[in-house]
Amino acid sequence: MESDNQQQRAHIFSRRFSLNKFLEISTTFVLRFFTYLIIVLAGYLFWDIAYKGSKVIFISEAPFINVQFLTEKPQTLHVFEPVDIDSQLKAAKADILSKSIQRKALSNSNIEEANAYTLAIKELNEEIKLLDIQRKERRLLFSDSEFRNLSETPSDDDYVYNTYAYSGGGIGPAIIGTTLLVFGSILIALTLGVLCAIYLSEYSRPGKVLQSIRLSILNLSGVPSIVFGLFGFGLFVLYLDWGVSLIAGWFTLALMALPVIITASEESMRAIPKGFREGSLALGATKWTCIRTNVLPYAMPGILTSSIMGIARVAGETAPIMFTAAFALRDRLPWEGLEQSTDFFFQGVMALPYHIYVVSSKIPQNEYTQSMQYGTAFVFLLIVGMFALSSIILRVKVRKKYDW
Amino acid sequence: MNVNFDIQEKQAQPTKPPKPVIKTKDLDFAYGDSQALFNISMDIFKKEVTAFIGPSGCGKSTLLRCFNRMNDLINSANIKKGTIRISDIDIYNKDVDVIELRKHVGMVFQKSNPFPKSIYENIAYGMRIQGVKKRSELDETVESSLRGAALWDEVKDRLNKSALGLSGGQQQRLCIARTLAVKPKIILMDEPCSALDPVATAKVEELIHKLKKNYTIVVVTHNMQQAARVSDRTAFFYLGRLVEYETTEQIFMNPKNSKTEAYVSGRFG
Amino acid sequence: MKRYFHKELTELENKLILLGEKSHQVVQLAVEGLIENNLDKVNEAYKMDDYVDVLEMEISHACIRYMSLRGPVSSDLRLLVVALKASKDFERIADEAHSIAQKSYRLLTTEGSLKNTLNLSEMGKLVCELVNDSISCFVKEDIDKAFLILKRDHEIDAINQKHFDILSNEAFRDEMSDAARFDLMLISKSIERIGDHAKNIAGGVIFLLNGDQ
Ligand SMILES: Nc1ncnc2c1ncn2[C@@H]1O[C@H](COP(=O)(O)OP(=O)(O)OP(=O)(O)O)[C@@H](O)[C@H]1O
Ligand SMILES: [Mg+2]
Repeated sequence: MESDNQQQRAHIFSRRFSLNKFLEISTTFVLRFFTYLIIVLAGYLFWDIAYKGSKVIFISEAPFINVQFLTEKPQTLHVFEPVDIDSQLKAAKADILSKSIQRKALSNSNIEEANAYTLAIKELNEEIKLLDIQRKERRLLFSDSEFRNLSETPSDDDYVYNTYAYSGGGIGPAIIGTTLLVFGSILIALTLGVLCAIYLSEYSRPGKVLQSIRLSILNLSGVPSIVFGLFGFGLFVLYLDWGVSLIAGWFTLALMALPVIITASEESMRAIPKGFREGSLALGATKWTCIRTNVLPYAMPGILTSSIMGIARVAGETAPIMFTAAFALRDRLPWEGLEQSTDFFFQGVMALPYHIYVVSSKIPQNEYTQSMQYGTAFVFLLIVGMFALSSIILRVKVRKKYDW
Repeated sequence: MNVNFDIQEKQAQPTKPPKPVIKTKDLDFAYGDSQALFNISMDIFKKEVTAFIGPSGCGKSTLLRCFNRMNDLINSANIKKGTIRISDIDIYNKDVDVIELRKHVGMVFQKSNPFPKSIYENIAYGMRIQGVKKRSELDETVESSLRGAALWDEVKDRLNKSALGLSGGQQQRLCIARTLAVKPKIILMDEPCSALDPVATAKVEELIHKLKKNYTIVVVTHNMQQAARVSDRTAFFYLGRLVEYETTEQIFMNPKNSKTEAYVSGRFG
Repeated sequence: MKRYFHKELTELENKLILLGEKSHQVVQLAVEGLIENNLDKVNEAYKMDDYVDVLEMEISHACIRYMSLRGPVSSDLRLLVVALKASKDFERIADEAHSIAQKSYRLLTTEGSLKNTLNLSEMGKLVCELVNDSISCFVKEDIDKAFLILKRDHEIDAINQKHFDILSNEAFRDEMSDAARFDLMLISKSIERIGDHAKNIAGGVIFLLNGDQ
């Protein structure tokens, strides 16, 4: 009895309800909900691309990877579909169309008849599905090269012949082009950005001027990418007369990555403890020696992180390269057929994001282009991921070497 | 029981007149608009330990950093008036190379700041930036500096390990060794023991006492006991002014100024 | 770890021992001079006192310097306090010996030789031993010996009391002048005081060794 009483009696630490607690709980819930929502959406997006893309990339036979897709140039797809199935399909589709029009015309008056139509349409749909499977089994697909090598084309009596641009072959040149673009532009952006960051963090005197420089660099990162594209087009392609070329793309992309790289590098340099600088200056080092030996190495992890962010910004962009570096189709690889070595820099390349843009907006959509889109998107994701991963690995390695 | 010394003989030993190496005259120093040092005049003597004491913010570090022009790094800092002469050369003269000055006047900081390199590289750093490449020369100096800083025995087996693995006291002695490696004549120490435990502090103090034979040492400290233990002369600063500068015995046993008296006896404020 | 300034403590200790030896020597010279009627020894004792005074001042200065500059605690601090007190005691011992020498000189020059009615020689020997022991118990850190000194001091007190009785005895009055009797009384008293100082020193040693008052 006594102990019961004691258990029930409220003590100073017993739970009490209050409005604040209610708010606390509900806020947590709302925050959690939106966070998970975003995660779910992002997850769905990746899963969708990965699922549909991997259908193109991975195959069931021996190498398990669609080497052709990854290495070949984009080609026109030649499709031969069996005539009989094609006509049956067409007939069924026309049937559905007429039936659904008739059903609509019935309006609400005759429910029984309308139900009968609905049922019929359903049946026809089933039939179409079956026919489609058959069609997929029996159709013949040829890319350009295969088509040219055919000893005899399938006869027109048996097959309906269609061609689809960009839907055959692979995306080899685009992969190479994107790799070249990203690599080159990051190299340029890192060099310029680090030099600029060194000046800003180590040499410049703090004041109004420095502030406004910082501000304008920061603003630069907010400029829409299409503006960079136009700028690059005007400066590099037209004024400097580099034409649509790798090098014009490099510089345009580098300009885009610069703000991120400068800001992050400067930040990481300023995070180096003052003691390192003072310690080395007090030993009689010149300023540059001090920076070279005692600031840059330790800022390296931060600089590499900034390059990851730069890559993320640069690799995905279509707009800046659209006018400056990218070709919709180019069947030569960059190192093929060069007359002199400098030509390498002055040629346009294909690029994955631009390729996606082209196949999804510049040509009629159909089932064959869709697989191309998703395959390209998936490969693109993988490549950007790989770039980021390699800089992360590099950063970890550097970090380990210089840890404080 | 044999007591083998003679008092008369000891007293007869002539005391050599000390020789000033750093001569500060009428120094006014300001950070931008706020003046940090007012009219400082003092001579620091060769091969002696001089201690700077005084409450926080009274300008001890500022004066110390004037001696090797570390204040050049601060944009707003400037000397308004007065001169500092080291070995009779005005160190703020235009023809003075700061690099050479800093090689001559080494500095050990309050927070030990070993570079995140190996112990060996930390010591060799000063010579490497001067272009010394010969391995044997580097090895020799590394060993002698570490021995000089009484650290050799503790680290000789792990010279290639990171200096950050050392204890706080060892790190501070490493920084001293690093300074010794560039062979300065004067060593400035800004609160070298502020972050150390008594044992490490004792070791650093022993080291200072030992280094006194070959170097002129200026040490800033908040630890009055430390100033009393290690220094030959003590300067008491207050609000940017030099209040009293005397032999340590005088300052701690019979200070002339009542502020000094209050400060050293802990009755300040 | 031994710090560089611990050398100063050792030096101080040595100086204190030296001071002890010197005051012991003064006592010995004065007492022996008196007993053996040796004016040379008495003179020497008379002169040595100055030197002891200088030593004592040096020690107390060193103690204060060490205290203000080195921040001593525990046994170091006890040593300093004991050194400060003991040096004072030694200095007093030498002072008493000085006055013994002074009075002996007067006695010896006016009275000629001393008659052996008093037990001065035993008393003198005893007090020399005590002073010597007080030094050696400090040097050897021998606490038992220090306690022994405390006890043996009573013997001297007893002898002194006896002398007092004898000298104030009517029968004794005829044997020598009043001045001589007073001098003898004072000499005996001085010796007794020396014993007291030795006792104090022994007390200091006990404090130094076990930290109790
Ligand atoms: N970089 C700086 N810019 C502006 N003012 C400064 C700067 N460094 C120090 N001061 C000012 O100068 C004065 C003296 O500073 P200083 O660092 O010399 O003091 P200190 O005696 O070394 O103090 P502490 O014992 O706390 O190290 C202080 O009032 C401080 O606010
Ligand atoms: Mg300071």
